[in-house]
Amino acid sequence: MVAPRLTRRLTPALALQIATLLCLWALWEGAAQSGLVWRGAVPSSVAVLRALGAMLASRAFYRDLGVTLGEVAAAVAIGGASGLVAGLVLGINRFLGRAFEPYLHYLAPTPKIVFLPVIMLLVGVGAGSKVALGALSGFFPMALSVAVGVREVNPVLLRVGRSFNLGPAQMLGKIYLPALTPTIIVGLRLSLGLALVGCLLAELNLSNAGLGFLAMQAYNQLDIPTTYAVLLVIFALAALANAVLGRLAHRSPAGRVRR
Amino acid sequence: MGAAPALVIEDVAKRYDTPTGVLIALERISFDVTPGEFVCIIGPSGCGKSTLFNIVGGLDRDYEGRVTVDGESIRGPHPAIGMVFQEESTFPWRSVQDNVAFPLEVRGIPKKERLERARHFLALVGLSGFERHYPVQLSGGMRQRVAIARTLVSEPRLLLMDEPFGALDEQTRLLLGEAVLQIQRALAQTTLLITHSITEAVQLADRVVLMTYRPGRVKRIVRIDLPRPRTADIAGSAAFGRCVAEIWGDLREEASLGLRDDEARTREAGWRGRGERSEP
Repeated sequence: MVAPRLTRRLTPALALQIATLLCLWALWEGAAQSGLVWRGAVPSSVAVLRALGAMLASRAFYRDLGVTLGEVAAAVAIGGASGLVAGLVLGINRFLGRAFEPYLHYLAPTPKIVFLPVIMLLVGVGAGSKVALGALSGFFPMALSVAVGVREVNPVLLRVGRSFNLGPAQMLGKIYLPALTPTIIVGLRLSLGLALVGCLLAELNLSNAGLGFLAMQAYNQLDIPTTYAVLLVIFALAALANAVLGRLAHRSPAGRVRR
Repeated sequence: MGAAPALVIEDVAKRYDTPTGVLIALERISFDVTPGEFVCIIGPSGCGKSTLFNIVGGLDRDYEGRVTVDGESIRGPHPAIGMVFQEESTFPWRSVQDNVAFPLEVRGIPKKERLERARHFLALVGLSGFERHYPVQLSGGMRQRVAIARTLVSEPRLLLMDEPFGALDEQTRLLLGEAVLQIQRALAQTTLLITHSITEAVQLADRVVLMTYRPGRVKRIVRIDLPRPRTADIAGSAAFGRCVAEIWGDLREEASLGLRDDEARTREAGWRGRGERSEP
């Protein structure tokens, strides 16, 4: 196996990516310095970076970071796992699938924030409801991906399993799950994104800790550079998590699963 | 010869209830296969060959009649019967050796032993040295050989194959057919192979079972008396040609019936017909 290259050549596509980022940054700085837009809304990048530095140096920030990371991890674990189970059940059992998959399709695009009052009533106003909203948000992409993915498992592979008289647990563990690995990874990436949004939304609404809370607090104090700094951190976290999952997808034998 | 048959198919029939009446896919199929024998089943598309394959292999339990292997009546998947499918069936996420070791892994055989046996059967199909490769890195013919090795590793009493070389080109088919013959001889493996290629049937089989078009019945069983061992060159001999002609004589009629029936049904469905054709 060839080891992945850590450096990349400057292809035209890569050059365009970098050029676009530079352009956007130049536009931003231009708007900030020109005075055309209120400096409060578009602070200069220097101000944002300074705020970022101050934030990364403070102890309180890491407490909030930890809170959010913990919530998201729990939300992804709960939402992802239950989504996986639901997707498997609805995908493998065609009868249940026909019955309940429409519900999945209709509920998935519903903004989960509408469930927050219900969640608060059931779980209270602490970390539980943040995790709950995150898990609810992360459940649907996984459930849908897997339910659809099960149908796309190559039917011959299932017949091979049956011809060797595999029991249901073996069919699941030795055929369905390995065949579904790419689907599950895609579902996980989507779940992660939505779970992050869910947790942050809950934090904005009812929290005194976490990155969402930090962003709101800075905004309420009209400390716009810090608000942007927090957004940068959130963006970096999401991008990093996605990059890691993407690498996993490429490296594992799952990358070799084909129709 | 006196030896008890390895496989007995007795009065096997399969009916489907359709909105337009009862469709009889198979009717009174009966024949034996003696131990170590190579039997081919040949017939036009729509004669029920694949239905029979699924029934004998145990993937279809809804039929009339009896299937007996070594005296034991079976209905459902059984370790005594190994199936090789027409489509690509290797597990893409497993290496070649893990693919072949799969049936042993399912049976709980320890790793060292099952990898040893896997390597033995890989050598038998001519794939030594490819143990750690992944199926996506191999050609179609090599992947089918992996699938064959995977089925052989559990040493089934009966090897059942459904057009295993259907997706391959003619030259590869001939060479793989030769390889299959060598393996079959080496293992004295009782084999039942379904094909739509007359040349393949004559090259490989001791006997060829000819099936009629729907409803599928055994039209005739032809004994192939060509000498063994048979190599791919045998395709050029006069005796080979005579066998092929004999089989084609009977098959031609069934194939035409199939073609005409097909066209009639397609014409009836009309160009506004719903959906796709249900058969190739």
